[in-house]
Amino acid sequence: MSLVEPRFLWALCILPLLWWLSQPPKPQRQLLSAHLAQWQLALRALGRRPPRGSWLRFLLLSVAVACATLAAARPFVPGASGPDKLVVLLDASASMAARVGQRSAFEQAQAQLRSTLAMVPAHVDVTLLRCGGDLRRRHGVAARQCNDLGAAGGALDVDLVQLALATQTEDRVVWTLTDGQGQARLPDVGALTLLDAAGRNAVIRAVRVFDEWPLPTLKLEVDVAVYNGPGTDSEPAAVPASLQVQGALAAPQRLERSLSSAVVETMQVSLQRSSAGGELVLDLQVEGDPLAEDNRVALPLPPLPAPRIAALADPEAGPFASVAAEALADEVGGEVVAVESGSAAGLLLVDGGFVGLRAADGELAKRRVLTFGTRLSEDVDAQPWLSPSPLDWSRTSELTRGLDLSELRIDRAWRNILPAGEAFLWWVDGDRQVPLGVLVDAGETASVHLAFRLEDSNLPLLAAFPQLLRRSFVRSYGAAAAGIGVPEPPPARERDLFARAVGADRGLPAFGGEDRGLARWFVAAGLLALALRSFVR
Amino acid sequence: MARTITLPALEDPFSPAFRALLPALLATRGKLGAGRIERIRARRSVLSQSGTFVGHRRYERGDDLRHIDWSAYARSGELFTKQLEEDDRRAVTVMVDLSSSMLVGTPPRRLAALRLAAVLGGLALARLDGVSIVAPGASHPNQRFAGVGQLPHLLDYLKKLPVATTTPGEATALALQAEAIGRAHWISDFAVPSDFAKALLGLRRRGVRVTGWLPTVPEDEAPQAGGYLRVMDPETRQELAVPVDHAFREEMRRQLQVLGRQQDRMFVEAGSQLWRWEPGDPEAPRLSNYLPVLARCERGHK
Repeated sequence: MSLVEPRFLWALCILPLLWWLSQPPKPQRQLLSAHLAQWQLALRALGRRPPRGSWLRFLLLSVAVACATLAAARPFVPGASGPDKLVVLLDASASMAARVGQRSAFEQAQAQLRSTLAMVPAHVDVTLLRCGGDLRRRHGVAARQCNDLGAAGGALDVDLVQLALATQTEDRVVWTLTDGQGQARLPDVGALTLLDAAGRNAVIRAVRVFDEWPLPTLKLEVDVAVYNGPGTDSEPAAVPASLQVQGALAAPQRLERSLSSAVVETMQVSLQRSSAGGELVLDLQVEGDPLAEDNRVALPLPPLPAPRIAALADPEAGPFASVAAEALADEVGGEVVAVESGSAAGLLLVDGGFVGLRAADGELAKRRVLTFGTRLSEDVDAQPWLSPSPLDWSRTSELTRGLDLSELRIDRAWRNILPAGEAFLWWVDGDRQVPLGVLVDAGETASVHLAFRLEDSNLPLLAAFPQLLRRSFVRSYGAAAAGIGVPEPPPARERDLFARAVGADRGLPAFGGEDRGLARWFVAAGLLALALRSFVR
Repeated sequence: MARTITLPALEDPFSPAFRALLPALLATRGKLGAGRIERIRARRSVLSQSGTFVGHRRYERGDDLRHIDWSAYARSGELFTKQLEEDDRRAVTVMVDLSSSMLVGTPPRRLAALRLAAVLGGLALARLDGVSIVAPGASHPNQRFAGVGQLPHLLDYLKKLPVATTTPGEATALALQAEAIGRAHWISDFAVPSDFAKALLGLRRRGVRVTGWLPTVPEDEAPQAGGYLRVMDPETRQELAVPVDHAFREEMRRQLQVLGRQQDRMFVEAGSQLWRWEPGDPEAPRLSNYLPVLARCERGHK
């Protein structure tokens, strides 16, 4: 007989305590009497018994405690020698998704697991480790039924050889199911099932996105390659491939290219995004590719801001604001809306006059606004400022970087109307720079303010004006929502399906016999001892 | 494993107060029943037609038909024998129980027993021809004293008596060996009446009239202590753990009453009398505590 949990035998140390507790209480006083017979007769007449300990009751209690302790230690009679544990290492790397016939290699491996484990004796403790992608562990029935193993994908980050070597013990056997993809050699201990998933494989290795959000233009650089295996005379040197780009686009595109084996080529695509956003799908198609999962990349595109541009100008400001709004809407795919109560506008162009953006406490409202010589609150003491000169602009600001504003002439500007912000245009007064244009960053939004009306300058006539307008529009929408997540490229070792280790399959060894537990017999013996004790006085 | 019993220490039973009281006690007037010193056959004594009528006893098989009181039979319809006592008995025998059961009680029964033996012996020395002390278990279990001048020797002898485990049969044999013919006083606790019954009958058959003296202690009525007690018999060394509550105390009182009745019946059946004597406070002995002893001695004489 052996014990699974011999540490519970420490509980037997409680027996001396039980012996002590089972003793009758000690009398408080001692009394000498010549009439002991009368004391006994009185006890008998009252039907009482003197308190006393019983060795038999203590013995039965000790037996019950000993049985309970042994039952907790889980005694058992060992079965026939041999392993009684099985650890399955199931390769679930991306290459296991390659189709072999009607099913993928991963599905074939699961089917073989289910059929084989159904014949493994029930007492064998089965543990299944999904190796590759996200590591999952299944035990017992879940392992035997291959429950919730997911789909094959990801890299095989573990060394199956070392893992099998570390797992295999005298009472534990390892069964490795793999396609050998990307491995130098196969485990040489335990059972082995090798799945043949070799074949031509095309892969999108990388995607680089050049996003001009919130503008609809989008550029992609797609690195593609095809792995054709060891070349033969019958195999062509180059394989025709087509990259289909579809999804959240104004119009799908298809690029044809002839790819040489194991040579990475970059395909460039310029796209017009749909304003509603959605999924942009890149699909590289090569004939005879069993692993389609690494040919396909899906990019989530957020919806473009739908710019509703409103223009507001004082009567003396001229038509420049409305003309600028229409030009901007035409360029970014938006629309010009009338300034009405209840009408929502994404961007407001204000030329001259007053617009109440500044609160009484001086805080500026977070709005996408482009103002030209506009007072932001009524109580601003706007001082006219005639022909500020010389002028200079920031070469590093994202609004004016690369623009030429040297021809800018301002006839009249207004002092004290600009809010605090990042100056990008200013009047040079010696060493001092007095802002004439500022960018106010408000987190997800931004506003641009200039200290002069369009009519009071030649800015609308400059070639840089449309760029300044467009950059102001882009900057006012920020960049928080512009990120496009590019999925991880397929693992490097999962690309070439011909780069695999090969070996011969090995079957499972014979398992040992089942241990016979004795705990329930000890529990029954303990209960019997307690039952007998209840009859003993 | 036998538990060790710590017995009460043996103190001097005769305190100066008692020694001072004893001469006054012996100077009181009265008679003391006695027996002849000279040896006579017991049966002759028992069968003697002469003597003083002292009472009746229920007829038992083997009794002399000449002693049947036919008048009593005519009155009651039951057979009684007449108990007679000779007048010429001039000495007494005092039998003292030295067993460890006499150490029971607060104060110990043994203290009262020895004082009672001193009083009875002193009375015999003062008014009769002598006294014979029978103390089974002592180095000199039979000791005779004569003359009042030997009173100090008597006290000294009684004081030095040890604690001994003996049986009533041994006491009886010693008493007969000491020629305790006539009247004897047996001072004991008579805790197990069945042990004393045979001895009393044996003495009666040898013509010895026994007066039993039982010095009482409070424990003879009911347990004085309550709670959870370990009760130990100092003689047999047996013990018993007993929780004492009100119900048990009452039951114990009843059992002790039954024991008392058994002791009385035992003496009646032996044609003898049992006197229970309450000794009072041993630290402050008074004459009034011992007058009942004198009274009973005189009553026994009549």
